[in-house]
Formats: sequence, C-alpha cells, structure tokens
Amino acid sequence: MTEQGNQTGFTRRGFLRENAMGLGMVALATLMQEEKLLGVPRNVKLEPQKFDLLSKQPHFEPKAKAMISLFQHGGPSHMDLFDPKPELTRLDGKTYDGDIGFSFIKRATKVLKGTPFKFRKHGEAGTAMSELIPHIGSIADDICLIRSMHTGFNGHEVSIRYMNAGIAGVTGRPALGSWITYALGSETQNLPAYMVLTDPGGHPVDSTHNWSNGWMPSIYQGTVLRPKEPRILNLDAPEHLRGSVQASNLNFLGKLNRRHAENHPGEHELEARIASYELAARMQDAAREALDISHETEATHKLYGIDEEATREYGTRCLIARRLVERGVRFVQLFHAGQPWDNHNSLHTSLPSACLKTDKPSAALVKDLKQRGMLDEVLVHWGGEIGRLPVVEGDPKTGGRDHNGQGFSTWLAGGGIKPGTTYGQSDEVGHKAAENIVNPNDYQATILKLFGIDHKDLYYLHNGQEQKLTVNEEAKVVEDILA
Amino acid sequence: MALLLSVPIVTNADEGLTFEKHIRPIFRAHCYDCHGAENEVKGALDLRLVRLMEKGGELGPALVKGKPEESYLLERIVTGEMPPGSHRVPDEQIATIRQWIQQGAKTARPEPATIGPGLGITPEERSYWAFQPIDRPLVPVVKNVDRVRTPVDALLLSRLEKKGLTFAPEADKETLLRRASLALTGLPPTHEELNAFLADESPEAWSQVIDRLLDSPRYGERWGRHWLDVAGYADSEGATNSDANRQWAYKYRDWVIRAIGSDMPFDQFIIWQLAGDELVEPPYKNMTTQEIDKLTATGYLRMAADGTGQSNNEETRNQVVIDTVKIVSTGLLGMSVGCAQCHDHRYDPISQKDYYRLRAVFEPTLNPKRWNVPGNRAVSLYTDEDHEKAAEIEAKAQEMVTARNAKQTEYMDLALAAELEKIEASLREPLETAYRTAGDKRTDEQKELLATNPNIGNLSTGVLYQYNQGHADELKKLDADIGTLRATKPVHEYIRALTKQMPEVDPTFLFYRGDYRQPQQEINPGGLTVAAPSDSPFVIKDNPEGAVTTGRRLQYARWLTSGRHPLVARVLVNRFWMHHFGTGIVDTPGEFGHLGSLPTQPETLDWLADEFMAKGWSLKHLHRVIMTSTVYRQQSKRTPDADQIDGGNQLYSHFPVKRLDAEAIRDSILAVSGKLDSTSFGAPVMVGKDTSGQVIINGDTQRRSIYLQMKRTEPVALLKAFDAPAMEINCTKRDNSTVATQSLMMMNSDFILKFAGSFAVRLNQEAQGKTESSVIEGLNVELGENALENSNPWSYGYGEIGDATEGELAKVAFTHFPFFGGNTWKGGEKLPDDKIGFSFLNHTSGHTASKGLSPIRRWTSPITGKIQIKGKLHHPSDNGDGVRLTLYSSRLGQAGQWSAKTGGVDYDVIVDVEAGDRIDAVVDMVENYTSDSFSNVYTITQLESDIATVWVSDKEFHGPLDKSEYELNATIAEQIAYGWQLAYGRAPTREEVQYSIEFIEQQVVLLIASKNESPFEQAMTNYCQALLTSNQFLYME
Repeated sequence: MTEQGNQTGFTRRGFLRENAMGLGMVALATLMQEEKLLGVPRNVKLEPQKFDLLSKQPHFEPKAKAMISLFQHGGPSHMDLFDPKPELTRLDGKTYDGDIGFSFIKRATKVLKGTPFKFRKHGEAGTAMSELIPHIGSIADDICLIRSMHTGFNGHEVSIRYMNAGIAGVTGRPALGSWITYALGSETQNLPAYMVLTDPGGHPVDSTHNWSNGWMPSIYQGTVLRPKEPRILNLDAPEHLRGSVQASNLNFLGKLNRRHAENHPGEHELEARIASYELAARMQDAAREALDISHETEATHKLYGIDEEATREYGTRCLIARRLVERGVRFVQLFHAGQPWDNHNSLHTSLPSACLKTDKPSAALVKDLKQRGMLDEVLVHWGGEIGRLPVVEGDPKTGGRDHNGQGFSTWLAGGGIKPGTTYGQSDEVGHKAAENIVNPNDYQATILKLFGIDHKDLYYLHNGQEQKLTVNEEAKVVEDILA
Repeated sequence: MALLLSVPIVTNADEGLTFEKHIRPIFRAHCYDCHGAENEVKGALDLRLVRLMEKGGELGPALVKGKPEESYLLERIVTGEMPPGSHRVPDEQIATIRQWIQQGAKTARPEPATIGPGLGITPEERSYWAFQPIDRPLVPVVKNVDRVRTPVDALLLSRLEKKGLTFAPEADKETLLRRASLALTGLPPTHEELNAFLADESPEAWSQVIDRLLDSPRYGERWGRHWLDVAGYADSEGATNSDANRQWAYKYRDWVIRAIGSDMPFDQFIIWQLAGDELVEPPYKNMTTQEIDKLTATGYLRMAADGTGQSNNEETRNQVVIDTVKIVSTGLLGMSVGCAQCHDHRYDPISQKDYYRLRAVFEPTLNPKRWNVPGNRAVSLYTDEDHEKAAEIEAKAQEMVTARNAKQTEYMDLALAAELEKIEASLREPLETAYRTAGDKRTDEQKELLATNPNIGNLSTGVLYQYNQGHADELKKLDADIGTLRATKPVHEYIRALTKQMPEVDPTFLFYRGDYRQPQQEINPGGLTVAAPSDSPFVIKDNPEGAVTTGRRLQYARWLTSGRHPLVARVLVNRFWMHHFGTGIVDTPGEFGHLGSLPTQPETLDWLADEFMAKGWSLKHLHRVIMTSTVYRQQSKRTPDADQIDGGNQLYSHFPVKRLDAEAIRDSILAVSGKLDSTSFGAPVMVGKDTSGQVIINGDTQRRSIYLQMKRTEPVALLKAFDAPAMEINCTKRDNSTVATQSLMMMNSDFILKFAGSFAVRLNQEAQGKTESSVIEGLNVELGENALENSNPWSYGYGEIGDATEGELAKVAFTHFPFFGGNTWKGGEKLPDDKIGFSFLNHTSGHTASKGLSPIRRWTSPITGKIQIKGKLHHPSDNGDGVRLTLYSSRLGQAGQWSAKTGGVDYDVIVDVEAGDRIDAVVDMVENYTSDSFSNVYTITQLESDIATVWVSDKEFHGPLDKSEYELNATIAEQIAYGWQLAYGRAPTREEVQYSIEFIEQQVVLLIASKNESPFEQAMTNYCQALLTSNQFLYME
C-alpha cells in the first residue's frame, strides 16, 4: 500500500490523495501550502500551530534517518565493561584519596576495586573491552565508544531526565524521541513515529517519564509496544467486521469527525484524534506485518540469539526494532524492567547476567543493520544515565559499586558516527570524565546534528517561550565523533 | 527552560540591581548548597551577605564592589570552575552579576550585623505572589457591561478588553446542558432532561439545571473522583510487585463521595482528613456515625503506597512517610516540598528544616520507629452490641454444633456396625478395636487388618454418604443451618484510619541529605515558614500533659483552614477551576512555586479563593458562581481574531474544547447504551485479566468507574488508555493523550463492540416518537423491509414472465405467496386456493397453475460476478403434458428454458450477475396444469472467485423470516435521530439524518454480501459505535 510512497522519494501529496484514510483535509491544506500550491501565504499567527507527523525537511543534509536507542537503566559499570583502568587494578584494595559523592552512605567505602574481569583488544581499532561483552567487542570497528560521559548527578532519575529530556531532574519535558519526531515527523504514516519497546518484567525506573511528550502535543508521545503478544492490543476487528465493513464504519466516523472539526477550526486536538483513528486503521495491517518476525531467516534468528533462552526476549525486541526502522519509524527505544545495571551488590554475578541478556542482541542489531546496508542511516545508541564508582560498595567480595554520574561510557554506531573509534577519557581510576567531556546536552546536540538539525535552532513555542532540548547554552556538537 | 524562567533576569541597565532581588535567586539556584545553606561553607566562602563576599574565604576576597574584573567570584563562574560539575550559570545571569558588581554591588537595605544559620527568607522572597495574603481584588469597571453576570466575568473581561477582545457569544442550550451535565455528574444529559431544559424558557432555567445536577447522587461521585486523584486513592498497597489488596479502602472513597455530595464545608473536609482521629475520644468503640466518619476521613493519610506489608524495613517505612507528606503538600499546599527533603529548596524559600517541621506534624502517628504494618491497622466497627449479639448467636450455633456432632457420632457408629455385620464374626472385634484406635497408635497388625478391609479402614465422616446417603444429607442440612444462623451475626466491617496514638512522642530529626540513616538536629513541628507572616509565625503548641494525642495534626489542619493560609484556598479553587476549564489558572496545580507556572488570571484566582472561604468553604456555591458566569456560558468556537492574541485561551476568549476524562468516557458509554448500573457505594467491583492480559472488570456489573477496583499494578485497560492516573503517589493534574492505541480500543475492543450493540437495541426499543417530525419527515427508508428481503437471497412467489416491449426486456410479475403452512408456500390454508389455485412451492417441489399464477423461486444476487446454475427439473407423473422451467435474469433476460414430462432433465448454465439481480426460476404449465406436480432442485455456484460460495435451493429453503428478530419498533430515521440525541445531547439536522441513513443502507449491503447473520442490527450497532467513538461524543465543548 503506502510503503511504495515511502520508499520512492515519498510523494506525500499523492499519498494523501490516494489514501481514503489519509490525514485530515487540514493536513492536506497545510501540506499544499508547504509546497506552495495554495495561494494564501501561511500565517501561523492567524491560527494556532498545527502539528502532524508528516516527514519534514531538516536544517541541512542529514546522515541519520532513524535512531534505535538501547537504553541501559541503572548505570552500567564502565570500568568493568568499556573502560579498562590498569591503574585501578594496581591500586586494588587501597584507599582512594579523592572526593567521592556517595548515594548509599551506610555501605560506602573508599576502598578502590579493580575490575575482576579481563579486558582484551578488539578489531582493527584495537578497542579494549571486557570479557563480559564479547559480541559488542566483535563490532568494535563499527562503533564509537565514548568514555567521558558526564551528568554530574549520581541519582538515577535526575540523570535519566537529563539524558532524555535535557534538564537534570525535571519532569514534564518532552523526551529525545519527541523532539526528533517533532522536528522531522516520520517516514511512515502507517506506524507510530516514536515507539517504545518495554520489558516483560515491567516499566523501567522513572516509568512513563521516559517517553513523555511533556508540553508538546500528544502525537509526539512514545507509543508503547506491549512486551508480550499481542504486542498491540485491540489491533484486529472481530472477523465479522473486518475489511470493507470496518472501512465503511471508519469512513462514516471520519465524516462525523470532520464535520465536527469544521465547526471548531483551530482545535488541533480534534485533528490529532482524527489522525489517530486513521493511523490506527493503517496500523492494523502495517503493525501486524512489522511485528511478525516469523519470516525472518533462521540465520537472523540465530544472529540475535532468539534461539537461546537468555537472549530470546531482548533479541526479539532488537529484531523488531530493526523491522520498525526499516519501515520508516523514526525513533525506537528499548527499555529494561527496573534497572538491571544498578549493581550495588554482587557485582561478580549480577553484572555478567545483565551482560548476557544484552550483549549478543545489541551487537546483532549493528551487524544486521550493516549487512542490510542500513547502518549508514540508522543511528544506534547503547548506554545508560550514569556509571559506577571505582570504589567498592559493601564487602569487597560480595559487594558492588555505587552510582557515579561523574564519568561513564556509552557507545554509538551508524547514522554518520565515525566507526571504530573511542572518544574521551576518564581519570586514571575511572571516577570522573577527564578529557573531552560529553554531557547529556552535548550528546543530544550531536544526535540532532546527525539528523540534520542545528540544536540551537530547534525550538518549540510553549507558553510563548522558545523551549529547547539542549538547555545548556554551552551545549556543543561533538564534531570529532562524526564520520 | 521552565526551571530558570522565574529567576528574575534584568538587562535593563537603567534599573538598579540589588543583591536581594536580582542576585540572591541566582546564588540560591547555583551556589548556596556549598556556600551558605549549611553551617560549614566550602572554602570558608559565605555568599549570603555582600560584606561576607567582600571578606571572602580561603582564597581571599571574592567581591570588589564596582570592579567585576577583580571580583574572584565572577571569574570563577565565568570560567566555569564554579559551580563544579557540568552545570553552568547561564550567560544572561552571569551578565546580571557582572552588571550588579559594576553598579557597586548594592543591597536593597543595610545588611544585618549578624546572621543566623541557614538561608532565611528575604522580603524579596516573601513577595512572591503565592505567599501573599489572599485579598479580594476590586471588581474592575468594564466597557461591555452586558456580558458581566458575576465579578468573575468583570475580572476576566477587563483583561480581555485591554487586548481588544471580549467573550465569545453565548453557547446554545444543548451545548450548555451537555457541558454542565458532564462537568457536574460525568454523564451526558438524558433525553428527558434535554427536553425539559429546552422547553423551560424561564430566566431561572439555567440555575435550576445547575441545582438539579448538584443535587444528583452522581455529583458526589464525579467530584469525589477528582478529590481521590489528589488523595492518591487506590484499592491496593502498591510499592511492591505483590500489590496486595486494601480491602477496606473503599470506606474512605465512600466517605469522600458522601462528603462532597452533601457539600461538607471544605475546611471541615480537610480537618477531618488530617486529624479526624484527634476529634474522637479513644478507644474508638461504639462510635456514632459521625465519629466513624471522622476516623474514616483520616484514611486520607493512609493512601500512600505502602510496601511495609511486604518488606517492613526502615527504608520502606520512611518512604510511606515521605509519600504522605508529598500527598499533603502537593494536594493542599501546591508545593513540591520534596526538594527540601535533601537540601534547602533551590528556587523557593523552603528550607530543609521546613520540610522536617512538616514531617514532625505527622510523625507521632506515622512513625517509622513504631510502625504498624498494614495488616494491623484496620479499626473494627464492631460495637459492644454487635459483639453481644454475635456471641449470642455463636452460643446458639455452638449448641447446634454439639447436637450435630452427636448425630454424626451416632451415624458413624451405625455405619460401622452395619459394615462389621458383613465381616466374618471373629474379625469384628479386632477390627472395631483397630478402627477406634487413633491412627498413630495402631499396631502394624491393626493397620494391616484395616488395609485388608478397606470398607472399614477407610470409613470416615467425609465418605459417610457412600454408606448412608440419608444420614449424610441430614448432617449436611445441619451444617447449612448452622451456617445460616452464623450469617445472621452483625457484619464485621473495618475502616482504614490513621489512629494510633503515641503515649510518648519520638523526636523528629532533620536527615542529612535526606538520608534517614543520618539524623541530625531535632526539629519541632510546624508549617512552611514562608506561608505565615514573618511577625506571626505559625507555632504548634504541645497538648497539655496527659492528653491522648499530640494535637499536632489538628492544629496544623486548623491553621491550613484558618483563612489566613496563603496557599490552601488558592490551590483548591485553582483545581476546581481546572476541572471546569481544562487548565488551571495556575497550569501546574501541584506546584505553585518557582518551578511551576504563574497564574494567568491572578485576580480571578484570588477573588475565587476569597469567595470560597467567605461563603463557608462551599464547593457547591463556587460551582454556582463559576457556572452562572458568562465566561462559562460562552461558545467553544475559536475565532481567528481572538486566536491571534489568545491562542492559548489564557484570557478565556472562548470556552475550551476538552476531551472527557477516562471515567466520563466509560460511564457515558454505559449510560447512553442503557447499561449503567447506578448503584452507589460499597466494595469495589473486582478487576481481572482477559485472555490477552488486558485488565477488565470481572463479571458483568457495569457500575460507575469510581466503583471499580483501583489496583495500582492493574489499572483497567480502558481507563488507563484514556489517562486515568496510575497512582504511584497521587495526581494533581491528569495527562491528556491522543494516541493510536486509544483509537484501536475504540475500534476493536470487546467493551465498545458490546455496548454499541446494547445502544442499538435500546434505540429500537425506545426511539419511537422521540424525535420532532420536522427532523425526520420524509427521510425514512423501509430499510427493515429491504433488509428482510435482502438478508436472504431466496424468496417465493407466483406470477409470470411478461411480454417484452420494444427495446426493453420482459419483466417478471412476481407476488409473494401469501401463506406458509406445512412447510409449503401457497395461496392459503387449503389447496387449491380460491385465488391462485394449485400454485405452491416447498423445498424441492411445486405445482403449476393457470397462466399468470406460475410458481417462481427467486434468488436475488448478493454478489457481482459469474454464477453457474446447475440442477434437475423432474416431472414424476405419467399423466398430463409436463412442465416447463425458465431461468430468467432481471437484467439479462432468459438464461435457459427446459421442459420435462414423466421424467427429468438436467440443466447447467452460466450467467453474469450484478449484486441485486434477480434470477427467477419460473415453472409453468405447457397447455394445462393437471398432473403438473414437479420437483426442481438446483445449486448456484459463484465462479472465478477465491471463495466459491454455493447457494442450494432445497437446503436453503425457508418459511417466513423471523419477523420478531427484525421487528422495528421505531423507524430507522427515528432510531438514528434518537441515537444522535442521546450521544450528543442534541437533535440531528435533517442532513445529518440523511447521511446517517445512507451509511446504514451501505452497511446493510456490505453486511449481506459478507453473509452477516443479522445485517440490520449490525448496521445499527456500527452506527452506534461511530457515535460513541466520535469526537462529538468524546469531547465536551
């Protein structure tokens, strides 16, 4: 059906005309104005702003068309995974002489703890990574590993909100996915532009704030795909209503709604609901197809670890994420239940188990995108909101590590990221980001740049004020990691 | 960047900058955590006073008046060294600091010679709008006096007129009634209510409608629900995955509904919730209804999610206290005091001590050191009388038990004796002994003996029925009687209240960085310092020695409702306003501080707050004021002119269009479809999961949504989809999302399909005579008839193929057989019929008659395409001249003709058809109709189609279609119009009826084509579904 339009340069107007279920007439008018097909100059002040998810032109030529963020709640321990610290190993058991902010005071110590895991170099890039993540190691030449992330806050929620929505600790702001879909719309009108794949175990820490649209219109809210079948509830009409009967029903509903909206010009919520019914109707076909991984080859299933118990669930979601961006979804984010990387206790066992679940599927996603020629245009993010402290929390044998927003690691791949590189450094024990520090606003500015957007010029008018994702005036694009 | 907006940023060089007004807020946000708030300041640098800056710290003076370049503090900020971390002071704020130093680092007033610990509160901080006393503003004079009905109108209009705007025109009566009904009861108006209001032309009609709605039991349920959001009401404990049920939480819910419904003054409403227990003498036995109510009200302080039933440790207990303080502060104070849990608030003058003062108000009862887990808290409502009565009944029951047990022993003995009779005599005694010996005392020999005689070995009371059914039944009957008697005991009910009274009071400590493991100094109870005037702080006095309670909560509640508290009334009326207008005057109803929004209409907010308190904290009075105002009675239509200035409608240049909230959507669907069970109060309707894991209600009791079990981990899917709160803590403002999952739910969920069906049934039953004839006159279609005919392709009649005229096909004259009997269509009861003679048809056979009366088996095509007709005509008689079959298409004419005489003929023909074509099988006589019995059986097969549908003439033969199933009690047009009125609260226009009819016609054709079993009902159901899921239903305007 409309896939065609999306893949062949996207003839938006044609799509709207041809599709009986197309967006409202207002959307069509807006579009025609954009294309200068209507004589009347556009005057946004005459009527309240209109919002839609049609594909938009970025500020400049983009590298990335879509993004998949594999968010790792809890604070993956960078010195045990991504950031080898021989000095820390040498000082193991010694007392740290720097200042440390602790979250869990009672169990806090200043005893340095070298990683109990082995590191080795990977790929031509020779990036050293831990034995716990051999698969991510195997894509070392495709990723850019940032070892100098910094939020400045040890708390989970505070840093999550900073990473996700631009200001530390503040809720009620739109998430990154909302900003990107607000700026660029979507390449498909048959699937939600911004999709969230949650874990069967439940919501992540900070729950639905993670995909909130804040003060933006609700079309920019992340749509949650259920972690279990049926992944989208109520997707299908009962047998006796399917097909032409339901199409006729929706046609009539559309008529009722359009006549109502005509009496309320400028109420974009009414338009949004009309669009939402239309999207729902298209989703019935498109979503069923997109979520059906049964036609993927056995090799693909194996690649993502769908044939193994430990990786089946996360692997399935990673594969679905690829299928979604393949079909034009702009932003997909995967979450874990709670925060599996919050390894305060038993680092020796809890960290490996978090790695086991994610390592293979995450690497598979990059490999799969690459072999399909999609990696150039799809940006993959893997990382959390904080890292962990170089000192031990609790007992050195059975304990873990406390929160650390001063320094941590994250990797990006594809979508215009320079492959096979590392960027930034933490201090000699991995406590603080020391060189080429990247804070969440920098991270966001860089992502926006890859999407062809100048972060300083991306704003949303809220209560008459220009609101930005990158609140920090100093936010900078990390040019060095761009290909 | 909401966070920093409220920090004054001044770039106007002419204005003199002062430390207190311009600089301190910047320092408060960025510096004071280390340089002022705590006793020990970093680097010995204290930034609280200008002279302390001049003095400087370890690194020397930090400030040189008039010389920004020499001021070390500025340098540190500019270079980004301060504050530490990635946080930067924004450039414009740095510019302000520089300018201030340049201007000589002035202060607003001489600085004090000494300074106590902490940040204190400056007059500038006190001057924030939300901390000002509530003064009734003067009502301004406006130009357009005609539009002013209330002072609220004058206040709003005055601002509108300043921008050259005025109110939108008055909405029509239908719109107003629907608006008011949904606002006050959460349900649309009924047909009768609509008619009554339209007919009432008196000037009081509107205020009487408001009164009627306020008196409705549905009002308390609607506005009680709003309060339950704020209180964080749930029927489960939350906090842990097990999310245990709170069996008696509903008592609080019911109390809220009753209190709101009866317009309990809000001051009392608050006092009871915060301190109802302190108004009742312990030991909370034999209480009056009012005493029970006061205790029930304190359920408010028991609403926080509580994990201590699952994991009872200091952390989970503290979390309950923290959440309770949050519920109270966001709901009543409109302040997120939670920030001050760890450090002085960075933007509002709320110190960390303030936070712990507030905690100390609640801690004597909500005390982590003497914690009472959820299972031990319920207060029994059993009175002494109840106990006595129960004891009496139990005594009787015990007598019955004794008698019953004696009977049982007797019957068991009888059974044993009877079984022993069957055993060899010598074994009887040892067997009986073995049997009567307790199991663990039996010898191996005895065990063996019993095992080899299982009829005795296994004899027990449980299997007595196998030995003597009569005896067993008798015992069962006795058990039932005992049960019945016990059930007459007074029901044992409980309430969830906050009551535990502490003989001794543990001190409250300030927790360093909010960590309960690091208690610091002791803190006395109190309120937010800034909320009381600096010269008359609110102080909590200790109750006299020997008092049962500390009295802290009561004193605090009385202070909040004293009329002098600057926040409480504002916060309350702001939310009431929000429920009417969609957004509050302060758009952040749980946050009136610097992190929230400023009031868009401060005068109106204050006027309402003052009016509310002056009129006895009556919510119903406030409703009347708001709803009789012009601002409320406006149309909801935007105009380009007004939108240019008031796009966000902050000036109220029109009434907003708002989506119904989750409960109103569900309840309205049920009400309109006639299925709402309006039973009030009581235990919640339990929820469960359907096969796909979607949370639905158990069973078929469709009560209002407020009565559904509110399980934190399992919110009802429909309500959750439309933004009902998850109740992690509480909810001061609901989200308003528009997402495709909602649409899918409205298109395909069992719920909507089911109640659209109920709605359709209701229309057919009730629509007759409900619509003014001018709307529907002449618009009706005989859809019922058509549907009847079209729903089954086969029909039976008599007639003939007429003569062809020039250029036109011959037409078939066809009349339905008037009578069906003995599985045969014919002219009447007897054959031959006086009028049509021998003409008849049954499933296989028929008989011809004289010309013009030949039997015709008609098939009306539901499809377009190619069909194959294949069959056999048979004339069994040896006599007569045989019969002739003509297959005739209404569009193409004759498709074939075959004759049979004393034998059969097979036929096979292919015909093109379009939907609606009639294919008639006409069997007529040759010369005469004697001995013209025949049989004719054929199949019609759809060709060139993926699904080869087959119709079979004999198997699908039918008598009259069940009229009752299709009986129309009202015309289609009436049903359409009535449905429209019920769903939208107004009659449709003729045009709207017309296109709805067209839709139904189209649907019937499609449904017949898809072989739907009841195309007409389904079409009406689909119409109803469209109404219930359309914007006009889902939004109020």
